[in-house]
Amino acid sequence: MAGASEVKRRIKSVRNTRKITRTMELVATSKLKRAMDRMLAARPYSDALNELLRGLHAPGLARDHPLLRRPAETKRAAVLLLTANRGFCGAFNANLIKEARLRLEELEAAGVETELHISGKKGLGFFRFRGTPVASSTTGIGDNPTPADADGLVDPLRAGFEAGDLDAVYLVSSEFRSAMSTPAVTTRILPVEPSPGARSVDAFIVSPPPPELVGRILPRYLRNAVYRGLVENAAGEQGARRAAMKSATDNAGDILENLTRSYNRARQAQITQEIAEIVGGAAALE
Amino acid sequence: MQLRVVTPAQIVFEGTARSLVAPAWDGWVGVLPGHAPFLTLMGEGPMTVETESGDRQSFEIGGGVMKVESNTVTVLADHVATG
Repeated sequence: MAGASEVKRRIKSVRNTRKITRTMELVATSKLKRAMDRMLAARPYSDALNELLRGLHAPGLARDHPLLRRPAETKRAAVLLLTANRGFCGAFNANLIKEARLRLEELEAAGVETELHISGKKGLGFFRFRGTPVASSTTGIGDNPTPADADGLVDPLRAGFEAGDLDAVYLVSSEFRSAMSTPAVTTRILPVEPSPGARSVDAFIVSPPPPELVGRILPRYLRNAVYRGLVENAAGEQGARRAAMKSATDNAGDILENLTRSYNRARQAQITQEIAEIVGGAAALE
Repeated sequence: MQLRVVTPAQIVFEGTARSLVAPAWDGWVGVLPGHAPFLTLMGEGPMTVETESGDRQSFEIGGGVMKVESNTVTVLADHVATG
């Protein structure tokens, strides 16, 4: 058994670690609250915009607008991966990276050229380490993403799609179901999928004429799709971090309990031995 | 009629309105209950809403889209400042 002083040192170290993980848990809890508020506040707009765009699918429009282009075959696709800038959030980033790799492999197996765009240090670090070429990356998006951040990510992809360099754009982000469940999902944001229940645009008085109107709405739709991914990711990251830090704190508690037990045992053993020595010494004198 | 004004970041207004005047991309648009289905791009400027109680509320709209359908007006604004 380890000496009492060594066990004591370990107890101290585990206690310090627990202090840190507990603090991180509390910070993540408060950030999660705010991130969730932002995410919930973003949903009505997102839902309304998606609903509106569905109603805009009019026959013939696809010919008129480059963003509604529906390529006959996909030759080149972009994958936009959203990850966190920081770790200590369990498998959150790993799940996103895994989903992106799966998607890339799947596309390549289908003979599609791919390019990878990454937001967040964790995803960038992984793919850079593996030597996968990364077409573009940003690590400047913090805990509080703005629609402007989404613009910065999606604008080059939109331009690529409009110019015909890209035939599809996929977004890999986490879907926030609850603080405990934030699975990584892939959404195809381009080409735009017409909804089967689409109402014809003819039912509306439309101003300006549909092609121009759609041309103005689509960039908003794309920006919003990415913005939504960013806010859901931000909330998911904090949720995952809270869960990871909570289990780390709990584990530290368990370890502490065991260590304290070993420490007491070691101390008791030492005392017993000392008494035995004294008794033995006294007996020798008689 | 029901009016909902939302931006990417929040719901700005949700409730019943008697009338509204909004900045469209090419000029002003007034909407009263029973308006025909209507879809327009918005410009920049103040949108004035007369609420159920007769109060007037003004929102500074910074571009967006407005949809009128079955007595429900949805304003998807890029950003809004309440004034």
